[in-house]
This record gives sequence, structure tokens and C-alpha cells, in this order.
Amino acid sequence: MLLAENRKAARRLLDKRILFFGGKGGVGKTTCAAAVALAASREGQRVLLVSTDPAHSTSDIFERRFTREEREILPNLHGLEIDADFEAGRYIAEVKEQVTKMFSPAMVGAASRQIDLAAAMPGVGDVALFDRLTTIVAARNSAYDLVVFDTAPTGHTVRLLQMPEMLRTWIDALTAQRRQAVERDAITRDDGGEDEPDPIVAALERRRDRLDAVRRRLVEHRDTSFVLVLIPERLPIEETSRAAGALAEAGIEVGAVVVNRVLPDGLGGEFYAARRRQEEVYRREIDHRFKTMDRIVITQLESDVYGLNRLERISAQILG
Amino acid sequence: MRWSELQSNVRDALHGLFYFRYEQDLRAEAIELNDLFLLMCYMEMVGLPNPVTLYLLEVYPHLLSEFHLWHRRMGVDRSPVANIRCC
Repeated sequence: MLLAENRKAARRLLDKRILFFGGKGGVGKTTCAAAVALAASREGQRVLLVSTDPAHSTSDIFERRFTREEREILPNLHGLEIDADFEAGRYIAEVKEQVTKMFSPAMVGAASRQIDLAAAMPGVGDVALFDRLTTIVAARNSAYDLVVFDTAPTGHTVRLLQMPEMLRTWIDALTAQRRQAVERDAITRDDGGEDEPDPIVAALERRRDRLDAVRRRLVEHRDTSFVLVLIPERLPIEETSRAAGALAEAGIEVGAVVVNRVLPDGLGGEFYAARRRQEEVYRREIDHRFKTMDRIVITQLESDVYGLNRLERISAQILG
Repeated sequence: MRWSELQSNVRDALHGLFYFRYEQDLRAEAIELNDLFLLMCYMEMVGLPNPVTLYLLEVYPHLLSEFHLWHRRMGVDRSPVANIRCC
């Protein structure tokens, strides 16, 4: 009965194009994301599993190295591990190259120093990470049927997904300010300001268009969904509930809640019985608090999950 | 002097007479607006975080020349900020 419900929910997830997995640290996001990606690839979908986790857990589960460039892990399943520092470095290098092409050597020298300084600032990694994410999410003709993102713990991810909104506000403010100044200046010129468009406004607008593409993908498209993973315990329930609220506020759909590491049936002993009673209370609470979302329930294995064999057993619980 | 030339000179003179003040005000306003824009770009320097810093890097050389004009306007000959070496 449980399996049938899981399968129904999982079907709906596999019909999407982009899935984000999130949840409190340690609840099994990576395992669940990997299991769903594996299930989809076994069904013949071309899948890309993206990890943004610097702890390399995805590599550990598959016992294959996920790298900074996409590579095939299994038939139909490609893997990629986004490294924020590396992405920041790459972005900076690109910018420098562009600057070198457009400006005089003296200017390039001065700008280079400034760019290096800016690159060392906190938060640059986040923006670079988001930039890479953007490229994957907004890709027009993706080579993949399904992209699964295994993201960092909840707070960070939600902040990352709210970024288009925040960045857009900033870019709009900057653009408006600059444009006003340029317009005033143009009126006072003899040619009435029939100049070429202001390069700063042009650059900001290019950025804005890319952010809009991501936002449309995240918010408006029905083929993007967020999956929240939790275990039947107090703290994960609270954190997940807050995350669901924040995502709803950002307009991002939560497709399903995965209730992970549920106790198996039919064990004995006082300790087990007590745990089981408590779990039932929490399971009812989860059913109540996340009643608008699909729920996928995964029972604990007798061992931890790493290696393809055990991952397949989780996959089997999700999709049968 | 040809009639058309005279006509154009009179037009320019009238334009200067009526619009001089107006254009001066506009120019001053443009400068002020752009200074505010620069401040928004360089907010880190006054201790406020700016999330789009990374995106502004591509236009940094443009910002540098704007910054140069700004400190000259403020009556400072060389760049007053050690990190920003525009001149």
C-alpha cells in the first residue's frame, strides 16, 4: 500500500524536468536525490545529477567520482559536482578576458587589481554557484530529460533560490539610477543623446534577462519542483515546515515530501516499541502539516546507504 | 552674412539665452545622479554589502573611468582610494 502511494508520487516527480532536493542536514537528501536520479535513469531518461555539496557525499554513495565537469557515472546518468570556489575563479577569469578585449592595457592593469580584490570577498562563491546553476537551469536545449539537484542544507538553498528576486531588485535599482543620469546628460548634448547605448546599462540588462529566465524556470514552469526530505523527528519537521513556507513565498512549488528513515515493521523490544510509538505521532503530524503535498515514505535499511546495491534498494522503495 | 546663417545664429543665441541655465541644472543633476550610482556600485567601501558586486565586475573599467571623473570633480588630483588605481 505504501509502495503504491510512493510510486504515484514518484511518477509525478519523474515527469518534471528539474528537481531540487533539500532538507535539514543529515536527513538523507543526497541518498534520496541519488535514488530518484538512479530510478529515472533506469527507466531510460537521460538524467543529470548535480551536487552542490562540498563534502563529496554523492561520490561516496555511487563510489564513482563526481567532477567539476559533467561526466557519465552510469548508463543514462551523468554527474556533476559544482565547486563554488572553482566557479568563482572561472567567472573571474572570464571577466578578465572580456576586459582585456575591450579596454586599453593601462585600464586593464588597474581593473585587474580591483577584480582580484572583489573576487576575494565573502559571498562571491554563492553568486558564482548560482551563476553555474543558472546556466544549467536556463539551458534552452538541454541534453537531459531530468536534472536533479542535490542541494546544501535548507537555509542555504532557500537563500540561493531567492537570489534571482534579490539580485533583480538590485539590478533594477542600479539600472534606473544609471539611466536617469545618462538621460539627463544626453539632453544637454547637441545631438540630443543619439549616442550608442550606455555599456553599463547594457551589461546590467543582460544580467537581468538571464535572471528572469531562471526565475521563470523556477517559478512559472510546471516542470520544476522542489522535494523536501525529512525524518520523522521534531527538529526536521519544524525546519522543513519553515522551508516549505519560504519556498511558497518565493513562488516555488514543493512537489513532494520524502519521509526518510522510517522504522521497519515487525521488530521487538521495549526500545523499538517506544521509538515506534513516538514515530507514529510524528508521522501523523507530518501527514497533517504537509497534507497538500505528495508524500514518499522510505523505510530504514539494516545498514547505511552507500554503493549501488544499497542505493538500488532505496530506489526500489520509491519506484518499485 | 547670408540670411540663413544669420537666422541660425539668432536661433543659437536665443537658445543659449533661454536654455543655458536649464542645461547647467540638468548637467549638475546628471552628475549628482551618477555619483549616487557610483556609491551604489562601491557600497562595500562604506561597509554595506552589495550582492551584485560580482556582476558589476564586467563593467569595472567603465566604473573606473567614472570614478576617476568623480575624484577630479571633488578636487582630488590622484585617486584617494588605495585599492582603486585609476590614475
